[in-house]
Amino acid sequence: MNSFYIVNLLIYAAVDAMACLGLSQQFGIGGVTNFGFIIFQAAGGYTAAILALPSQTANGGFQSYIGGWHLPFPLPWIGAAVVGGVIALPFTFLVGRRLRGDFAAVGLLVTAVLLNLLVTNYRPLLNGDAGLSLIPQPLQGEFDPQSSGYGWDFTIGALIVAVAVYFFVRRLTESPYGRTLRAMRDNDTVADSLGKNLLSLRTAMLVTGGAIAGLSGGILVSYITTWSPAAWGYAETVVLFAAVIIGGTGNHLGAVIGAICVPVGFEEITRYIPTSNNLPPNLIPSLEWVAIGLLIVLFLWFRPQGILPERKRVIRVPDTAGVPAQPGARPRPAPDPASVPEPRPRPPGGRTVLEARDVSRDYGGVRAVSGVSFRVTAGTVTGLIGPNGAGKSTLLAMLAGTLPVSGGQVLYDGKDVTGLPAFRRARLGLVRTFQMASEFKRLTVMENLLSAVPGHRGDSFRGALAGPRYWKKDEDAAAARARDLLERFGLAQHAGSYAGDLSGGQRRLVEIMRALMAEPAVLLLDEPMAGVHPDLARTIGTALTGLAAGGLTILMVEHELAIMDEFCDPVIVMAEGAVLAEGTMAELRSRAEVVEAYLVG
Amino acid sequence: MTAFLSSLGFGLVTASVLAIAATGFTLQFGVTDVLNLAYGAVMTAGAFVAYVLNAAGVSVWIGLVVAMIVCGAGSVLLNACVYAPFQRRGVSPITMVIVSLGMTLIIEFGVQAAAGGTSVSYSMSDGPSLRAGGLDLSVVQLVVIGLSLLVMAGTHVLLRYTRLGKAMRATAANKTLARNCGIRTGRVIAVTWAVTGALCGLAGVVFAMDAGSFGATSTDLFLVLILAAVFLGGPGQAYGAMLGAVIIGVATEVSAAYITPDYKYVIGFVILLVMLGVRPSGLLGARA
Amino acid sequence: MSDEPLPDEHAPRRAGAPLRAESVTAGYGGDPVIRDITVAADPGQVVALVGANGSGKSTLLKSLTGIVRVTGGTVTVGDTDITRWAPEAVARAGVGYVPQVDDVFAPLTVRENLEMGGYLLRPARVAERVDHVVTVFPRLGQMLTRPAGKLSGGERKMLAMGRVLMLEPGVFLLDEPTANLAPAIARTLLAEHVRRLADSGAAVLIVEQRARAVLAIADFAYVLAGGEVRMSGTPARLAADPAFTESFLGGAAPRA
Repeated sequence: MNSFYIVNLLIYAAVDAMACLGLSQQFGIGGVTNFGFIIFQAAGGYTAAILALPSQTANGGFQSYIGGWHLPFPLPWIGAAVVGGVIALPFTFLVGRRLRGDFAAVGLLVTAVLLNLLVTNYRPLLNGDAGLSLIPQPLQGEFDPQSSGYGWDFTIGALIVAVAVYFFVRRLTESPYGRTLRAMRDNDTVADSLGKNLLSLRTAMLVTGGAIAGLSGGILVSYITTWSPAAWGYAETVVLFAAVIIGGTGNHLGAVIGAICVPVGFEEITRYIPTSNNLPPNLIPSLEWVAIGLLIVLFLWFRPQGILPERKRVIRVPDTAGVPAQPGARPRPAPDPASVPEPRPRPPGGRTVLEARDVSRDYGGVRAVSGVSFRVTAGTVTGLIGPNGAGKSTLLAMLAGTLPVSGGQVLYDGKDVTGLPAFRRARLGLVRTFQMASEFKRLTVMENLLSAVPGHRGDSFRGALAGPRYWKKDEDAAAARARDLLERFGLAQHAGSYAGDLSGGQRRLVEIMRALMAEPAVLLLDEPMAGVHPDLARTIGTALTGLAAGGLTILMVEHELAIMDEFCDPVIVMAEGAVLAEGTMAELRSRAEVVEAYLVG
Repeated sequence: MTAFLSSLGFGLVTASVLAIAATGFTLQFGVTDVLNLAYGAVMTAGAFVAYVLNAAGVSVWIGLVVAMIVCGAGSVLLNACVYAPFQRRGVSPITMVIVSLGMTLIIEFGVQAAAGGTSVSYSMSDGPSLRAGGLDLSVVQLVVIGLSLLVMAGTHVLLRYTRLGKAMRATAANKTLARNCGIRTGRVIAVTWAVTGALCGLAGVVFAMDAGSFGATSTDLFLVLILAAVFLGGPGQAYGAMLGAVIIGVATEVSAAYITPDYKYVIGFVILLVMLGVRPSGLLGARA
Repeated sequence: MSDEPLPDEHAPRRAGAPLRAESVTAGYGGDPVIRDITVAADPGQVVALVGANGSGKSTLLKSLTGIVRVTGGTVTVGDTDITRWAPEAVARAGVGYVPQVDDVFAPLTVRENLEMGGYLLRPARVAERVDHVVTVFPRLGQMLTRPAGKLSGGERKMLAMGRVLMLEPGVFLLDEPTANLAPAIARTLLAEHVRRLADSGAAVLIVEQRARAVLAIADFAYVLAGGEVRMSGTPARLAADPAFTESFLGGAAPRA
């Protein structure tokens, strides 16, 4: 083993590890599937090359390309990272759209192929398929790039950058912001309904991943001193995905191991296998690709979680009693939901907190909700009942902003919120739950609850980078609040379990607790007791009435009328997309039309 | 004008190859719900099967039939051993895409390992060249166009008039309801893989004939044209794929004549990206 | 070819077979959705399953047809135990199922939908049966070449029932056939078509939200709640029972 060989391997390891970390952050943590990932590494490579290359005459003038800036180290590397991040911005539109996942993947793959084809064939810009060469290496004026000392220095530099990237993505991931990213990965609609800005999160992931990929390309180019389209075929993206899947999706250390196993192990090490004259020239590289393909398929089948599976995050709850209230949070009542409240006096002519005005919704020509108007009074538990297909869930989704209205207005707290997306309404205190299972499966129960906390200092890109000392106090306060809720609902012993491993009834509870953690002023519940044991349903009902007594307003879709009877006042009846009646259950039961809606239709 | 007509001639041949490939791809996706990106690799395998036989002295037309059989059987196996087990496990569409990319690497470079990295071509006569009103086509090119018309007509007959074809459409439209009708959808899907695999093999051989010389990775770019034709017409829509193939085939060749041949695929890619961005259900697909 | 047509002697015959579900427990993998349900329908009978949303009615039908996994109990048609059979095998055993939604092949024409309903028949027999179904639902005869996705709600439901009629099953399982239909059309569908199926010798098990309307044509009814049978009896007896109305409109505390 000569030192050149080892230097070469280590530098490739550093570069590939960086790229895999970028992809791991994007794909494994943020759930953003970017099959055009290699484009960003390519862009970084070209950027570093252009910035570092001297004017045309300096290289004998045989290459024609722009610039000739000949910028000193480390500007080419910085430029590579910046350009990698900036060109990621337009991709937000492809990844952010509600396009079937596999179709979006095809679109990105094709974009990568297309750009490669364009660069290959368009010589004036980046010298076509010949590519750029004789790219100056960092500090080559001061040191001799041919010396072995230089190689080792370069290696150390590249490894330092790779380690820095590792700590950077780790800091992002192991923070409330990272938790939000993982929540989005597990279920984006629900994250949206809890006040998470999906577009901003996805953009941040694309730009971060793009910058890291760009940096890795810049470092690679300044070591190998040449860069051409052959180095960034679409298949290289497949290799990086293979590395992340094999290493462990959602585990950054796994991404590093994957990088060492796949791109370094297969592509680089085999480069030095002595070629025998008996073998066809292309045999070894071909078999490498076959092996990578086999690894992908076999790993996805036998060990989809990878070599190092995603770690379970255990959150320690501080034992300090009387945690101070969070700064900036809306003033909240602190009711004890487990206690049965006194019969609540109906506020006479109470304040209207939520109002639907002539709200309609069409699905492909069918009118699911037609011209519904009603008001929800602050501090009530309002029930919403009606036969299957009456439009209850659709109405709830429109109130929360999950679905746009086809006509009409939604007013919340006196303001028209019809045009606001779900996450903005959630931030104003209008929070919903879902009829379908909607827990974040690969987050623990505790993390599910914490993911909903509004205004958490660590729940932003900058807050995450500022580090745990910046957000620890918020985290402790939120964890204490979550622990209280878990104890009240009897799930404390499951705090550290993955939410996806709970029973159906327990998952409903997690969802309700998570919605409460979002500090709602109005809570929209879509069949919260469906599939829940009757005893538990009663506990939930009692808790909700208690919260309402403390000032929370609840609008609840339910089918179990006995529950309506016991906990809801008033009750709104819907049938065939319209409001049929409104009143107490006792009033409604005496009215023929309501009985008809249920019994005759 | 002559430039236009001769490029139109090339366009018709490209469109014909594309129509065979895209019809198979879209049927496969529509009925089985697998976006099989290894389709291009299977085409390559088919082209090489015919090449091996051809190199051993067999007529390329017999090679073509053998390639269809091999690719049909291979596709059935590909589904039974790889895709179907993953589907039964209920993995996400993204995982299926990654699996199919893995299979692409295995098949494509498996062929390259077996066949070597150099380009090869069939030894066959193109036949006399025929001229009609400015169009200048060889006999082989005419046969390719004829085969394509045959495939399109055959697909039409299969889907509209046969019990199997209607069962395929029923399975594509609503698999559970098809089972409620007593249709053994598992078998229908297996037969679909066989039929579309055979079309894929046919497409591979005529692609190789049209290209003249070909290597293991020659279909990489062509797959994108197939996807463009499929998405232009609407994924799963057989007639859409035929229409898409004609539009894209002619558009690529005519643009190649007027702009530069280097960019002849670009127009197909741009059409694909626009369709994905604006209307992923395609020209003939139902609105989502 | 994928499937051989059934020989005629094996074709399901109208001489209906009794359907029995004994202590059926079923669900979607987690907690069971329906528990220990026993229902029966004899040839010539319309048996109604009523109950509030989410009481498990549709899940029961899906478990009888093999779509939802049965984890306990047995399902028999005549002497044949069809528990945990695949949906296509259940169809071959002479059980016709009309789902509540996705009940037709939308891109296929009306005629093709009927042909798929008769998939198990010989080609000549298919044409005969199409002619027969068209006499039962004359509206369908005027639109045989129209895609099913372009039909109105009522026409679509007729097509769904016509599709099942193709095989002359001995047992019909109908999941809320009147959902989203105008009340007048709903009454006609129940009174004319559903009742006639039973009168011509088949066993009909029908899930309905419109309890009163379905009780008018039913011979027997089960009330489901919380995934269990809460009460059962003849329509006359149920209608006289105040607990029956209460089971829809609440009033009682949730079961402990």
